[in-house]
Amino acid sequence: MVCIRRATVDDLLAMQACNLMCLPENYQMKYYLYHILSWPQLLYVAEDYNGRIVGYVLAKMDEESNECHGHITSLAVLRTHRKLGLATKLMTAAQAAMDQVYEAEYVSLHVRRSNRAAFHLYNETLGYEIHDVEAKYYADGEDAYDMRKYFKGKQNHQHSSHGGHHHHHHGGGCCSGDAVVVETAQAEDAKATTSK
Amino acid sequence: MASKFGLAGGIPERRVRPIWDAIDSRQFKNALKLLTSLLSKYPKSPYALALKALIHERMGKPDEALAVCLDAKDLLYKDDSSLMDDLTLSTLQIVFQRLDHLDLATSCYAHACGRFPNNLELMMGLFNCYVREYSFVKQQQTAIKMYKLAGEERFLLWAVCSIQLQVLCDKSGEKLLLLAEGLLKKHIASHSMHEPEALMVYISLLEQQSKYNDALEVLSGNLGSLLVIEVDKLRIQGRLLARARDYSAAVDVYKKVLELSPDDWECFLQYLGCLFEDDSMWKFFDDIDQIHPTKHIECKFSHLTEEMFDSRISSASELVQKLQRDTENSNLRGPHLAEIEIEKRKFLFGKKNDRELLKSLLQYFLKFGHLACYASDVEAFLQVLPPHKKAEFVGMLVKNSDSVSASATIELGQTTTILKVQELTGNIFELPLGEIEASAVKLAKLYCQNLPLSKDLDPQESMFGEELLSLISNMLVQLFWRTRHFGYLAEAIMVLELGLTIRGHVWQYKILLLHIYSYIGALPLAFERYKALDVKNILTETVSHHILHQMLESPMWVDLSNLLQDYLKFMDDHLKESADLTFLAYRHRNYSKVIEFVLFKERLQQSNQYEAARVEASLLQLKQNADSIEEEERVLENLKSGVQFVDLSKEMGSRTLRFNEDMQTRPWWTPCPEKNYLLGSFEEFSYCPKENVNKDREENVRRAIQRKSLVPRMIYLSIQCSATALKESVETNGSGGDVKTCGELKSLLEEYTKMLGSSFSDAVGMITEISQGARTSESLGSDLVDWLNFAVFWNAWSLSSQEHWHVLNLLFERLILDRIKSMGSSDMSSCYSDVQVLVQIITEPLGWHCLVIQACTRSSLPTGKKKKKAQHSDHLPSSPMTQAVKDSIHSLCSTVQEVSTWLTNQINNPEDAQVEKFLSTLKRNEDAGGPGHVLWVLESFIASSEESEVGSRIFEALKTWSKADSTRKTVTAQQKLLREFLQICESKRELLEKLKQQMTHV
Repeated sequence: MVCIRRATVDDLLAMQACNLMCLPENYQMKYYLYHILSWPQLLYVAEDYNGRIVGYVLAKMDEESNECHGHITSLAVLRTHRKLGLATKLMTAAQAAMDQVYEAEYVSLHVRRSNRAAFHLYNETLGYEIHDVEAKYYADGEDAYDMRKYFKGKQNHQHSSHGGHHHHHHGGGCCSGDAVVVETAQAEDAKATTSK
Repeated sequence: MASKFGLAGGIPERRVRPIWDAIDSRQFKNALKLLTSLLSKYPKSPYALALKALIHERMGKPDEALAVCLDAKDLLYKDDSSLMDDLTLSTLQIVFQRLDHLDLATSCYAHACGRFPNNLELMMGLFNCYVREYSFVKQQQTAIKMYKLAGEERFLLWAVCSIQLQVLCDKSGEKLLLLAEGLLKKHIASHSMHEPEALMVYISLLEQQSKYNDALEVLSGNLGSLLVIEVDKLRIQGRLLARARDYSAAVDVYKKVLELSPDDWECFLQYLGCLFEDDSMWKFFDDIDQIHPTKHIECKFSHLTEEMFDSRISSASELVQKLQRDTENSNLRGPHLAEIEIEKRKFLFGKKNDRELLKSLLQYFLKFGHLACYASDVEAFLQVLPPHKKAEFVGMLVKNSDSVSASATIELGQTTTILKVQELTGNIFELPLGEIEASAVKLAKLYCQNLPLSKDLDPQESMFGEELLSLISNMLVQLFWRTRHFGYLAEAIMVLELGLTIRGHVWQYKILLLHIYSYIGALPLAFERYKALDVKNILTETVSHHILHQMLESPMWVDLSNLLQDYLKFMDDHLKESADLTFLAYRHRNYSKVIEFVLFKERLQQSNQYEAARVEASLLQLKQNADSIEEEERVLENLKSGVQFVDLSKEMGSRTLRFNEDMQTRPWWTPCPEKNYLLGSFEEFSYCPKENVNKDREENVRRAIQRKSLVPRMIYLSIQCSATALKESVETNGSGGDVKTCGELKSLLEEYTKMLGSSFSDAVGMITEISQGARTSESLGSDLVDWLNFAVFWNAWSLSSQEHWHVLNLLFERLILDRIKSMGSSDMSSCYSDVQVLVQIITEPLGWHCLVIQACTRSSLPTGKKKKKAQHSDHLPSSPMTQAVKDSIHSLCSTVQEVSTWLTNQINNPEDAQVEKFLSTLKRNEDAGGPGHVLWVLESFIASSEESEVGSRIFEALKTWSKADSTRKTVTAQQKLLREFLQICESKRELLEKLKQQMTHV
C-alpha cells in the first residue's frame, strides 16, 4: 500500500479539491474535521507518486450502538486515477484500522441501489453483504443498500442476515476493483455534524 | 455543589426541558414565554437568566443578551450560596461566545473553579475556555491541576500538548519541552502508558528535541506494543534512525517496509536518501506549505566517491528488481517508477546514462502509458532532462505507440498521454503551426471515433477521450496566441462548450472556458462557468483564485460582492468555530491532531487571499458608494476611518503569508492570477513549469495588500483636507487642510510610493512627466491604477496648487483617451484588457478624485440659504482654487463622456451583426490552414452520428448543441458587461454635471 497513508489535517485542502475533480459532495468542512479529529486512524488518503492527493476514505466509529462497529462515510478516487485498485487499498486500510485499533465487530456502509459498479466493489472485491435495504435513503428518493462486513473471528450470526462465513484477505494483492464513489445520505451527515 | 440529580442549575429538569425544546425548534417567542414564568419562580437563578440571554441572542438582540448575561454573572459572583454548576456556566459560555466575549465566559469559569477548587467538571470547562482563546499557558496550568487531582493520563497529555503548542505557536523556549518530557517520564515510571496517541506525543516530543536515540529506545521497548500496525511502527523507526544518522540501520528498516508495502513511494525515497546518506530529503518532507508538494527533490552526492555511489546504487537496483518480481502480477506502479528514479539519480550523478533513463521511461510508458496518470507520474523525471532530450523522448513515444496495435482504449489512452507529455515538457510550443493544427484535427477525429465507447456509461462516469477536448482547446489557444487569429479562440470555445453539453460535470472544460471567456470580456459567462464548479467550503480558499482577480477588475459589483462575502464568511466562521473542534480532539485523546489542527487554523489565518479579500471587500464598498460623499462617509465610519487597515499595512511587512491556492488547475496561459501570456507576444515567452508559482508571487502580493490597505485611510484624509481647503484658500491663501491631517496624508503617501518602488519626489516627477507627454504611460507598468491613486491623493494633499490639479486632469485625460484611441473600433474580444484598465481608472482613482471635488464643493456651499447670498457668492469665484475645481470638473466630464461614447458605440452594434462576425471567424478555408478545421470535424460527426452508435444520451446532447447558441451567449455576456460599465460611467457623469451646476452658484 503506497501512497495509502493516514490523513493529516493539512490534507484537507487537497482532499476537498478531490471533490471538485471527482464528484461533488455536500459535506461541510466541519464534517471532515469532525471525522479527522475524532477518528484520525480511520482517515486514509491515496497519495500519488508526486505527492498529490488522488483519493481518500472517510470513516467513523459508531459510538452509540451496542456493538462496536465502524462505518464508511465516503470514498473518493480521482477520475484520472481510477482502475488502479486505489479504492480497494483505501478501504482495506480503513477496515484494518477499525478491526485492529478500535476492535470493531463489523463495518457498514450505504450504497445506492443503482450503483452497480460500487456494489460490485463492495460485494465481490471486499466481501460486504447486504444487511438491509433502506427505502428512500437518498435525498433524490433512491433506496440504499445497508451493507456490512464482519471482521474475521468476530462474525455475529445473529446479526448477519446471511450468516455465511466470508473470508476476505486484507492487504497484499491488489484487486482491480472499480473505484466508485459512495455517497452517503445528507440527512445522516447533517446529524453527525451537529452532534457534539 | 448545587448540581444534583434531576436538578438542572437548581431547577427541576422537567421545567427546563420545554424551554430547550422551544429554542431548538426556533420557537423563540414561546421559549421566552415559558422562561418568564420560570423566572417568576426562580428570579435569582443564574441558570434561568443564562437561558433568557440565550433566547435574546438567538432572537437577534445582542445588547439585551449581553445585559442579561452580565446580570447572571453578577449573581454568580455575589451570592455565595448561588448555584454554580457546569450547566449554568456552559449555557453562559455559549452566549458569551456568540457575543464575541470569550473573556467573560472564561472569567466565570475561573471564578467557579476558584470557589470549588476540586471540581473536575468545572476545570474541564475552564480548560475548554482556554482552548477557545488559544491561551496555551493557561491550558497547561489547568491541565496540570486536573492531572494532580485525578491522576489520569489524558490530563497529563493535555498539558503536554499545551506545552508543544507554546513552543510551536508562541515560539516559547524549547526548555519547556524538557519539562514536558520530565512529566511524561515520571508518569510512565509510576503508571506506564496506555494510549497509542500518548506514545506518539512522547516520541514527537523527543524528536522535537533531536533525542532520536531516546525515541528509538522507547519505540523498541514495552511501549512500542501500543502501535498495533506493524508497518506504521517500522516507518517511525526508519525515520528516527535516519534522523539519528544511523543510515545503515535505517536502510534495513526501510527495506522491510518496502517488502511489506512495495508501493510506498515516500518510503522508497527515504530508503534512497539513507542509502546515499543524504539528509536533504527531509526538507522535502517537511515542506507542507503547498497544497501539492514540490515534485523536484534535491539530491546530494558530493560526499560520495564514484565507487561508493556505484555499489549503493546497485544494491538499490537489486531491491527494486526483487520488488518488481514480487509484484509481477499486480498493477503496482511504484516498483517500476523506482527503476526510473534510480536511472535519474545516476543521471544526476553524472553517469551520462540518458539513454537508459529514456529507456526506463519508455518501458514505463509501454506498461502504464494508457493510464491517465502516466504524465503526472513521470513529470519530475522529465524535468531533469535537457530540452532536446525531452523532444527526443516525445519522438520515442510517438514511434512506439504506433507500433503497438492494441485495443481502442489503450490506443486512445496512449495518444492522450503523449499529448500531455508534450504539454508538460513545453515541447508543444516548439512545433510549427501547421503541425499543431494537424494534430488538433487528428485528436478531434479520435474523439469522435471513440465516442461510441462511452455509449453505456453512467452520466457521472468520466468518458473515454474526455481529456482530448481540453488538449485540443489548449492547442487552439496557443494557435490564437501565435497568429492572433480570433477564430482559433472562438473554436476553442466551441470545442469546450460541445464537450460540456455531452458531459456536464467535467471541471477542466469549465475552468478553461472560464479563462477564455474572461480574456475576451465575456465575464458574466465566465462567472457562470465558475459557479457551475460549485465552489464552496474550503474550496473557496483553494479554487476561487480562478475568477476573483478578473472580478475585482470588473464592473460586476453585485456578483463580486457575493463572491467576497461568501469567501469571507466561510473563513471567518471557520476561524471562529475551529476552537470548538479542537476540544473534540482533546476529548477523543487524539493529541497529535490537536497540534495539527491548531497549526491548520494558523495556516488559514495567514492566507494571503484572506487578507487581500478583506481589504478588497472594503474597497468595493467604497467604490460602490463613491458617487455620494455622505454615503461614502458612512462607509468610512464603519471602517473606523481606515485606521485598522493602515495598521494591517504596517504589520504586513513582517507577517507570514501562506498560499493555499491550488494553482495546478490553471490553464497554461495563466499560471497565476497576475500572469496572462496571451497579453504578451509569443516571441517573448519562455516555457516554465507551473509549479511553485506561489513562491514568486509572495513579494508582489504582500506589497499589493500593503498598498491597497492604505487607500481607505487616504480617501478619508483626502476628504478631510478638501473639506477645509477651499474656504481657507479664500480666507488665508494657505495651503489648505489642517496641519495634522495633511501631515498624516503626506506620510501615507510616502509609504504608498515606497510600495510602488519609488520615492515620493520621484513619484511626483514620474506622474508630472507622463501628464506632459514626456514619458509614456507604459513606464507605469502594471501598477498604473496605483500610480493614478497616488496622483489623486497627492493632489488632495496639496489642493491649493493649481498646477497639481492641472497635472491630474492631464493624467486622466491622457491615460483614458490614449486607451480609447488604441481600442478604436476594435471589438471587445480583442481589447478587453484595455476595458479592464478603464474600469479600474473610472471606479477607483477617478472615483476618489470625484470625492475630493464633492468635498470641496460641499465646503464652498454655505450651510444656510441666507449665508449663501450674503457672504460667499461674490467672494469665491475669484479664488484660483475654485477655478481649479471648476476646470477639473469640466475636464473629467469630457473625459468620462469619451468613455461613454465608446461604450455606447459598442453597445449599439447590433447583436446579430456581432454574432455573424463571430461565426465568420470560424469559417474554414478548405485548401489552407487556419481556424475552423477542428470544428468542421466535430460538426460533420454530429451530422452523421446515429443513436444506435453513441447511445441516446450522447446522441441527444449532440443534437441539442448549437454553434450559434454558444456564440450568442458569448456576445450577450460581453454586452452585459459593457452595459454595466456604461451605467457606472453615466452615473459619474451625472455626478459631475451636478457638481458643475453647484459650482456655478458659488
